[in-house]
Amino acid sequence: MNPIIEVIDLTMAYGDHPVLHQVSVNVAKSEVIVMIGPSGSGKSTLLRCLNGLEKPQGGDIRIEGQSLMSPAVNMSVIRANIGMVFQQFNLFPHMNVIDNIMLAQVQVRKQSKEAARAKALELLKKVGLTDKAEHRPSSLSGGQAQRVAIARALAMEPSIMLFDEPTSALDPEMVGEVLTVMKQLARDGMTMVVVTHEMGFAREIGDRVLFMEQGVIIEEGKPRQLFDMPRHERTKAFLSKVL
Amino acid sequence: MDFRFDIIIDYLPLLLKGALLTIGISILSILFGSILGLAVVLGKMSTSWYLSWPMSGYIHFFRGTPLYVQILMVHFGLVPLLIGQTNSIVAAVAALALNSAAYTAEIYRAGIQSVDKGQTEAAYSLGMTKRQTMRFVILPQAIKRTIPAFGNEFIMLVKDSSLVALIAAPEIMYWSNAMRGQYIRVWEPYLSAAVIYLILTYSLSKLLASIERRLEG
Repeated sequence: MNPIIEVIDLTMAYGDHPVLHQVSVNVAKSEVIVMIGPSGSGKSTLLRCLNGLEKPQGGDIRIEGQSLMSPAVNMSVIRANIGMVFQQFNLFPHMNVIDNIMLAQVQVRKQSKEAARAKALELLKKVGLTDKAEHRPSSLSGGQAQRVAIARALAMEPSIMLFDEPTSALDPEMVGEVLTVMKQLARDGMTMVVVTHEMGFAREIGDRVLFMEQGVIIEEGKPRQLFDMPRHERTKAFLSKVL
Repeated sequence: MDFRFDIIIDYLPLLLKGALLTIGISILSILFGSILGLAVVLGKMSTSWYLSWPMSGYIHFFRGTPLYVQILMVHFGLVPLLIGQTNSIVAAVAALALNSAAYTAEIYRAGIQSVDKGQTEAAYSLGMTKRQTMRFVILPQAIKRTIPAFGNEFIMLVKDSSLVALIAAPEIMYWSNAMRGQYIRVWEPYLSAAVIYLILTYSLSKLLASIERRLEG
């Protein structure tokens, strides 16, 4: 089966500062990829390249066969099919929770308001926040806000979900509720690429773990293999610091 | 020094009529100016040079030349060109609106740039286009933040509108000048004008402060 995401020799620099160096990786449908590594290793940048929030200088990314580097590509169409969850939630503060989840359904998918509302309520139920539908994002806790952000992304019925350190901005007691939603999503067969420092999550849910450092994938493998029997010195050094 | 209240009483109806026109001109100018200003800033921030260059030039021109000159150009040049003859009130509103658009454009720009970049990224990640992102996500947040600056701009505009006496729009200063001409006196007409402007700007700033409070609550 063809991979749903293909990253081929991806190279990127901010000015003179290289961030990604000839990175290649494939992701199969329903696979859960977890990217770990020290900050500044390029893992978030790589993730952001996958939906075009960063523009790499070289190499190629193909989503379901469609190259993002092609000048003819319509990024909005690609992005509507790729959900993204941010470290800082990025909910729209001037709208109620339910309007946050309805906006893109109505504007991008051209759904009727009724259909969008029904879908939003169904997703709020899934993330356990039905009672918050008419609340403003500012009244939510971090964990609730992040679950709304996940619901907002899922409302587009994406075939891929990207998570950029989704629990890093949360108080420790709220990490669990977000991870629970993500685990359920993984079990439902969602293709997921997750940048995280939650090693427990990586071990439990990850099909494959990538360890990145200085813009290069140093090592990749099944969680058990990478965590318990890392082959590279740098992987060992990193894991000894975080585990 | 004697101070003749009787001539102020004489002219009061005309001064108040002038004040109404000042208010009318100011409201229309800020209204048209803020609509035009939005178009100007969207053009200026556009990635197409054929939109951003002219709009950037527009802002430079109207902020970099005296309002006095702009009023004369609009009155004797632009308005006759467009409607065949000139009209002092139309010219006054047009000149003030064109001028105010350049300033409100910069106010909008500051508001738009103050919205967190994550908002744009979140909207993009949902498949929204640039235009949809601007309309549904960025502008609603930006405009709310610009309201205090708009209030200041409005107060400036009320005071700047005194310059349109120059083209005989019968607002406050027009009647004060007439009063000075008729009685050959200085303090009564200009102090009356100053007091009327003070009342206008003071009530306006109080009004705006209460609107801001309500928006925050």
